[in-house]
Amino acid sequence: MDSLTQKIREIASNILKEGRVDMVIGFAKGTIPMTTKPYMARTPEQVENFIWDKNCTLNLANYITGRKEKIGIIAKGCDSRNIVNHIVENKISRDQLYIIGVPCSGMADKHNPDELRDNCATCTHRNPVIFDVMAAEPVEEQKIDDPFADVKAVEAMDKDAKWSYFEGLLQNCIRCYACRNACPLCYCPTCFVDESGPQWVGKGQNKTDIQTFHFLRAFHCAGRCTDCGACEAACPMDIHVRAFTRKLNKDSLELFGWEAGLDITKRPPLDTFNPDDPNDFIK
Amino acid sequence: MANLFEHIGMEKERLQFSWISSAEAGKFTNVATEVANTIEALGPIDKFVKKTD
Amino acid sequence: MAEDKKTKVVSFLCNWCSYGAADLAGVSRMQYPENIRVVRIPCTGRVTPKFILSAFREGADGVWVSG
Repeated sequence: MDSLTQKIREIASNILKEGRVDMVIGFAKGTIPMTTKPYMARTPEQVENFIWDKNCTLNLANYITGRKEKIGIIAKGCDSRNIVNHIVENKISRDQLYIIGVPCSGMADKHNPDELRDNCATCTHRNPVIFDVMAAEPVEEQKIDDPFADVKAVEAMDKDAKWSYFEGLLQNCIRCYACRNACPLCYCPTCFVDESGPQWVGKGQNKTDIQTFHFLRAFHCAGRCTDCGACEAACPMDIHVRAFTRKLNKDSLELFGWEAGLDITKRPPLDTFNPDDPNDFIK
Repeated sequence: MANLFEHIGMEKERLQFSWISSAEAGKFTNVATEVANTIEALGPIDKFVKKTD
Repeated sequence: MAEDKKTKVVSFLCNWCSYGAADLAGVSRMQYPENIRVVRIPCTGRVTPKFILSAFREGADGVWVSG
């Protein structure tokens, strides 16, 4: 067995036995090959179900929102940044968490298991930014010359090409909201697409409704998205959902010098006012 | 938000922001005219409109 | 109608700032373009992206947010 899996089970079973946490959230083997599912172990025996491999593509920070018990959670780089987000946004307190940091060398693409998935290939935060214990030595961070090459390619298009690019992206969307449900940022009690008085977005397969959903969902993630790729991992239609959030990540880096979820003491840029904020768009 | 609009291929200029105090009627009419002219120059919108047919 | 040729601009005006300015402009009989359609809001902070997208979806050619 993989030594990392072994180590994760050992730590998880120890903290459960010591009573430091009520449950540990990790990954278990999925029902079809090369998949994993989130798994909550409440007894030391259940810990044996935990695994760690190249297919742990979901983001476990999604499962701690608003929980009251003490939680142990297995966190790779992006999960840990989303945990920071959750703490900053008061969705959980730091004292409730026991974070088992796992250095991550990238997850596999779901169609091409020998390659890293897109967002892992450009990831510069592979090691957890916040943890109580590390399951292994930190891995070396990637040096990416141009992390936003894909965004720049779209930016270079003219407006009609952009429009047809995004129309093409979304034409397969079936409005299952898997991207929203897999996303650790999407924890609103009532999502704007489910609001009915007033109803902002139609429920059907209307093209504009689909575009509105994706556009607004992305906008809600501005300055918060950690590019963890859970949305794309969850999408049954293989839509490149990150095409929207990537642009916002690039903007928040350029306009505010901000990368989400790195510091537990800082508020996200769209949440605070600073006299130095860019304001040339106001007349 | 305007940046993301541009990114998906809408005209950024369709969304305008300004800051006018309640005493600045002159500025209001100026900006209003400017906004209206900008939009008029762009012409009617053809994207993102919900078609009901 | 002649108006059909015109574009429509939905403007979200803050009650205390721009709406006041618009009111003053009206009282002072200043001319401003007739295709500006005003929505009075209690504060510019009340405007969410939902409002803006909603306006575009319903056929506005432009949106103007002013505080």
